[in-house]
Amino acid sequence: MKPTVNVLYFPGTNCQVETMRAFRHVGAEPRLVFIEAVLDGDARLDDADVLCIPGGFSYGDHLGAGTIAGLLLRTRLRDQLARCQTKPMLCICNGFQIAVRAGLFGEGVTLVDNDIGTFHNRPDQVHVVEGDPGVWLNGLAGQTLTFPCAHGEGRFVFERHEGWRPALRYPRQANPDGSTDDVAGITSPDGLVLGLMNHPERHPGGDGNLALFENGVRAVAA
Amino acid sequence: MIHKFSVRPKDESASATLRHERQALGIPDLVVWREYYVETPQPLDEGDKKAVCSVLADGVATVAVADEALVPGEMVQVAHRRGIIDNESDSIVTMCELLGIEGVAGKAALTYVSRSPELQAVVEARRFNSNIEELHTVEPFYETLLPRGTHEPPERYDLSALDDEALAAVGTAGGRNLDPRQMRQIRAIQTELGEDAVTDVLIEALDARWSDHCSHTTWKSRGDLLKRLVAASEGTGNPNIVSMFHDNAGVWELFDGWGIAIKGETHNGPSAVSAYFGQLTKLGGVLRDILGTGLGADPIGCFEYTATGVPEDPPAVPGRPGARQIATDTIRAIKEYGNTFGVPMTWSKMTFHRAYRAKPFALGGSIGLVPLDKAQRGKPRSGDVVVLVGALTGNEGIHGASASSAGAQMEGAAVQIGSPLEEVKFRKCILDLRDAGCISAITDVGGAGLNSAVGEMGEACGVWLNTAAVPLKTSGLPMWRILLSESQERMLLAIPAAKLDEAAAIFRRHQVRHTSIGRFVDNDRYCVFFDESLTPARIEAMGAGEVPADVAEPGFDVPYALLVDSPEPVEVGEPPATPPPAPDAWPDLDVDGIARLLDAVVADPEVASQHAADSQYDSTVQGHTVYGPAYGTRRPVRASYWAGTPLYPSPAGVILSTAFNPWLFELDPVRALRQSFLAAVGTQVLAGVELADVCLCDNFYTPDLAEHADEWLVAMVDELASLVGLFGTPVISGKDSSAGSTKTPDGIVSVPPAVFLTALGKIDDVARLVREQWQRPGNLLVRVGPSSPSPAATVAGRVLDLAPCGLDDADATAYSRYLQSLREARRSFVSATTIGPGGVAAGAVVGALASGLGIDLSGDCTTAGALFAEHRTGALVEIDERDLGGLPQELEARVVGRLTDVFGVRLGDRELLTAEVESSWRNGFARRIA
Repeated sequence: MKPTVNVLYFPGTNCQVETMRAFRHVGAEPRLVFIEAVLDGDARLDDADVLCIPGGFSYGDHLGAGTIAGLLLRTRLRDQLARCQTKPMLCICNGFQIAVRAGLFGEGVTLVDNDIGTFHNRPDQVHVVEGDPGVWLNGLAGQTLTFPCAHGEGRFVFERHEGWRPALRYPRQANPDGSTDDVAGITSPDGLVLGLMNHPERHPGGDGNLALFENGVRAVAA
Repeated sequence: MIHKFSVRPKDESASATLRHERQALGIPDLVVWREYYVETPQPLDEGDKKAVCSVLADGVATVAVADEALVPGEMVQVAHRRGIIDNESDSIVTMCELLGIEGVAGKAALTYVSRSPELQAVVEARRFNSNIEELHTVEPFYETLLPRGTHEPPERYDLSALDDEALAAVGTAGGRNLDPRQMRQIRAIQTELGEDAVTDVLIEALDARWSDHCSHTTWKSRGDLLKRLVAASEGTGNPNIVSMFHDNAGVWELFDGWGIAIKGETHNGPSAVSAYFGQLTKLGGVLRDILGTGLGADPIGCFEYTATGVPEDPPAVPGRPGARQIATDTIRAIKEYGNTFGVPMTWSKMTFHRAYRAKPFALGGSIGLVPLDKAQRGKPRSGDVVVLVGALTGNEGIHGASASSAGAQMEGAAVQIGSPLEEVKFRKCILDLRDAGCISAITDVGGAGLNSAVGEMGEACGVWLNTAAVPLKTSGLPMWRILLSESQERMLLAIPAAKLDEAAAIFRRHQVRHTSIGRFVDNDRYCVFFDESLTPARIEAMGAGEVPADVAEPGFDVPYALLVDSPEPVEVGEPPATPPPAPDAWPDLDVDGIARLLDAVVADPEVASQHAADSQYDSTVQGHTVYGPAYGTRRPVRASYWAGTPLYPSPAGVILSTAFNPWLFELDPVRALRQSFLAAVGTQVLAGVELADVCLCDNFYTPDLAEHADEWLVAMVDELASLVGLFGTPVISGKDSSAGSTKTPDGIVSVPPAVFLTALGKIDDVARLVREQWQRPGNLLVRVGPSSPSPAATVAGRVLDLAPCGLDDADATAYSRYLQSLREARRSFVSATTIGPGGVAAGAVVGALASGLGIDLSGDCTTAGALFAEHRTGALVEIDERDLGGLPQELEARVVGRLTDVFGVRLGDRELLTAEVESSWRNGFARRIA
């Protein structure tokens, strides 16, 4: 049986198609889960092997990127979210912002306006994988991964080093958002939840770097 | 009760945004607070306030405080005017709900804080638009955040007794633009109906319906110009045409049962008043055009072009934004709408030209995917329900269609307020409705509001509309304002009654507002009324074909046959002769002169990198962009085409390219059009597309009060029709804006008669596309194609301030032969690119910057004419030297130079691409808008 992936859709999500395509490409069975259906009790966050919160501008990013969606998850869906955290979870771009606002990486971390003060688009952003980077980047430590950068509020800032550890970094001198210590992605302490601002799911031609997705799916298929 | 929450940087020195804003406004101690007003039925207690603060601020980079008033003398607040609902309002209410607080409405504002005595003046000049915003130096008092409004019964006019003068007065009262002939026609309608009066609802509806925006009166009266273009396009017999000029967008057959829709739309008038909202809504509007094509198409790409005045000039119309403000607001708007919607930017550019100082050229375009079996315009059936989808209707954009058509004057009320979130929400919802068979017909609610959307869709059979059922932003509005409101992010659907329940479930899943506001009926009449007793539920429960009787407030009920406007034909003569080209007008320059000229040319915004703007637009969302909008491993430079593979995993591609240069059109619109057309199709063929697989979208933007405006318009259309026939390349979509003249204190300012062309092509495998980046040192760079040696309309000609002369007169028939040879020779091209502003010299610089390679220019390429003439229909191709002799004679190949692995552009032993020149290219544009 193919591993299942719930791809969560908030009003304003806009990267669901390519995200589902990436999961499908590596042999998973993605399904779009509407937040409204979850709130109505017609669907659940936690009934798949993997939860993915894709990119976009949930609720228009009004009141701050990911603020409303994050608040919704931690107020209305706290229990389901907690169960999802016991399995691989991937939070991309706005999904990362939502995860941070939902408290998935503890207190004392945030994502704010890029250092350049605006949105930054770059199709070929380079990332370096940290040692012990968690299930999604398992076996890729030290490697460089190139995929698009496209965000306005991706500068990772932290006050405390609890509830997360770095999983990806930008090369020195090539940090597009000014993240502290060049952090480009973080993982939960148990390595199950990965949050990153950039977009590995955008892989034109199908030959892009999907190792990250393969890892996550392999972890639940095993 | 209204509370205010102020979100402030925790550490001012750590805020990147603040750092940039301090620099931009020149106020070193500036702090900017984002403030939210929340209306609640009861005062919030301290616990509630704390909870709200903890949501609005992250505690790491920001903190929030509640209910602290503005301090006069130290703070200036900018907020939307009362009556405009902020996009954040719904989210503020949602936040309250999630916190267990009852919220009624919200409002957002920005407060600028500084002890600088210049604070208010700087904010007022740089961050405030009086057309749509209000500025506070003391805490504003809001009784409520909900816009107020009152419903008033329709005014009635007995036109039968009015003479021409009195009729004319009614026709122009309150911002209407009906001419005496049109008013006489309305009087005839009153007579025909046997009524003792007509309502303001009918007069307003016809003011919009018969406007140039909706009815294309200029084009119709000058000889039915659109028909000429359509006839020429039909005459090509191109089998790729799926839909052409009878839907919201044209559709071109792609592969595997899919079509690709294309549309370009302008928002010139609104962008002159508020560039931010004008540009925001131009993109939103054209994306809705795609969504409203066939039974619903999915936008897969967007493009945008803006021409405005010179940044250093003051505004041409006092109170309106100047060019620099328009430029920065445009970038912000395009970024916010396109990125939020989730559609890749395929091409964008900004031009500074004084002819656009009073009214910019604000063009937005989009392409979208649609299954061929759902690509034809739908037709409502009697019994279908009229369903309004998306945003609430407010008192905004009133007279937008007729005012933008009138051109000369446009007030703030005619500016629409955009909210991309609403459109993202219904984008996927519409596709789900389409695939579930819930849509009989669909259109967007754009210019002229519901009047245009419902009125035009109803022409298929007949329709009635209850304006009382339309959900409003305000507590009430007069019927005609509900009908004419151009509130954004709304779509109109015809849904079969039997499908309403299924549709409702889909709407709910997507959290999309939808309301049944009328029914289609089989009576060929257009009927509008206001009756609060006829609720959406009652509308849905009515029988098919049933028409409500004895409604509370009739607006009008008129047979469609009486609503046809036939503008009087206008005789148009030939355009005046223009000067001949002067290819020998280039001056003799030594190498120092050429180096100085190159530095100035690459700094010109037509040549310089616009990365400062482009890099803010998401080009990779949706994951199918395979080439463009930039290329280059050393520096990103603008690509001459964009390619995407939306039919994943198929390698089949869509290729998009554009052609427009206002300096050409101000000299000779017909020759300019011919050069543009040849460049548009030439770019596609050069990239690897078969000519038969290319179609066009036209966007005419012409003046209405300039000398010979009509003559040039007709001549351009005829020239375009002629070229369509010659090349077999149909125009399948487009739009005409004929209001390019503006009255200013210094007289009338007119844009040049011009047309922006967008070419759309397809290819079965994108791997066969010819890329632009130089590949191998040792290869030759060769110029191919016809020469355009005249300095007219060139960047170098402007820099050198050369005397005006004529444009080159391109030979279309010869070009047709050239394209055939180009197609045959393509396989020998290692790389190939078009020749644009700045000519061969700029092409060499950009080629080197992109690749990191260099070029040693040949001995034939040492003069100003050889380097800076803009051979716009030609190309620069990289070939192996051994292939040079095999190039067909029709290509007229001329060696430009030899590529080397030493970065630079060299003329003899002189390096032209110095660090200073690279800096000019990198910063030339950004400096102008800073």
